[in-house]
Amino acid sequence: MAYIDYYKILGVDKNATQDEIKKAFRKLARKYHPDLNPNDPTAKDKFQEINEANEVLSDPEKRKKYDEYGEHWKHADEFEAQKRAYQQTGGGGTHWYSASGNGFDEGDFSQFGGGFHSGNASGFSDFFEELFGGAGRRSRSTGFKGQDYNAELQLSLREAAETHKQILNVNGKNVRITVPAGVANGQVIKLKGYGAPGINGGPAGDLYITFVIPDDSTFKRKGDDLYVTAPLNLYTAVLGGEETVDTLNGKVKLKVKPSTQNGTKVRLKGKGFPVYKKEGQFGDLIITYSVQIPTGLTEKQKELFRELQNS
Amino acid sequence: MQSDLIIISEYCDKSHIEPSFISLLEDDGLIEVTRIEDEQYIPMSQLSDLEQYARLYYDLSINIAGLDAIHHLLKRMKHLQHEIRLLQNELRFYRDIE
Repeated sequence: MAYIDYYKILGVDKNATQDEIKKAFRKLARKYHPDLNPNDPTAKDKFQEINEANEVLSDPEKRKKYDEYGEHWKHADEFEAQKRAYQQTGGGGTHWYSASGNGFDEGDFSQFGGGFHSGNASGFSDFFEELFGGAGRRSRSTGFKGQDYNAELQLSLREAAETHKQILNVNGKNVRITVPAGVANGQVIKLKGYGAPGINGGPAGDLYITFVIPDDSTFKRKGDDLYVTAPLNLYTAVLGGEETVDTLNGKVKLKVKPSTQNGTKVRLKGKGFPVYKKEGQFGDLIITYSVQIPTGLTEKQKELFRELQNS
Repeated sequence: MQSDLIIISEYCDKSHIEPSFISLLEDDGLIEVTRIEDEQYIPMSQLSDLEQYARLYYDLSINIAGLDAIHHLLKRMKHLQHEIRLLQNELRFYRDIE
């Protein structure tokens, strides 16, 4: 894990007093607390970062180690012991660290076996994990809830109209979910416990799925009602007849009254979108007739229209 | 139903929460505690609220009155977000038919 500048995270000077650190922490904690930022997926990480910085900087002993050893301060005790041993043997041998005040040279650390940049899944620095076992609370040593995951699931309008199962791949793990019929565009559902594992025995985070339902080429949806425009030829509009219209479940044949005007709306009850989590309930389908004016008329047809016009 | 109740003492023990915190919440009407014989319980339905109260109380040192106010505001925020989503979808509908 790369060096984390805790001073920068809290927005304080390296010479900040404990009071200044406390004040900065409180201000940022209130700003980024995940409960106060339910729609910001980055808030939890930010809050954990702030907590980590505070846990270290508010403890004079940890802060001293951090100031002295920088990036590799988690091994401060180890280095001190090595340093003492080195001094006792009168020096010589391999130079293995550079105590420049800016931490150690990365290359030298390979001697300790294992390197110091192994990140961890939680996003905390290794040192913090080691010392505190996760983001500590100030007043109780409880586990910390795992990170919430956010996912988007794109569904066609027709898919959203049917209860069905989907398999989502969330951070390499397949999660099988049941999508209830009637979900709306932008709707978010929460799957408790499907987020990242908890830290220090805390509960797992949650998985938030946002449904994205793009526009359909045939149907427009408004709540649970569906709207469709049906072309109607002029002759049926004038004389009446039958017209076949698309619904979500197939085609239906409708009787068209004589003298039906362009833009006339017909409501088919219960032929709309399923109502979310109300089985057997459906919205309506509203059909708007769009009377089509014939084009490419022959001379004879035009003559007949003129006759009509003059009659 | 008995299975929908959580024993407070066990919850406090597992969550490292002082039982007095639960009492404070109950006194201010933020949660309802059920008493059966000598044991105290909270309904499962209140668990997520309780967890949120605990996080805000312990993480941010917010007092009980503040918890109540924040809880109401978050509920309103959620409701408004729901309304915005409905309105956005409706707006999209009218844009489409223009």
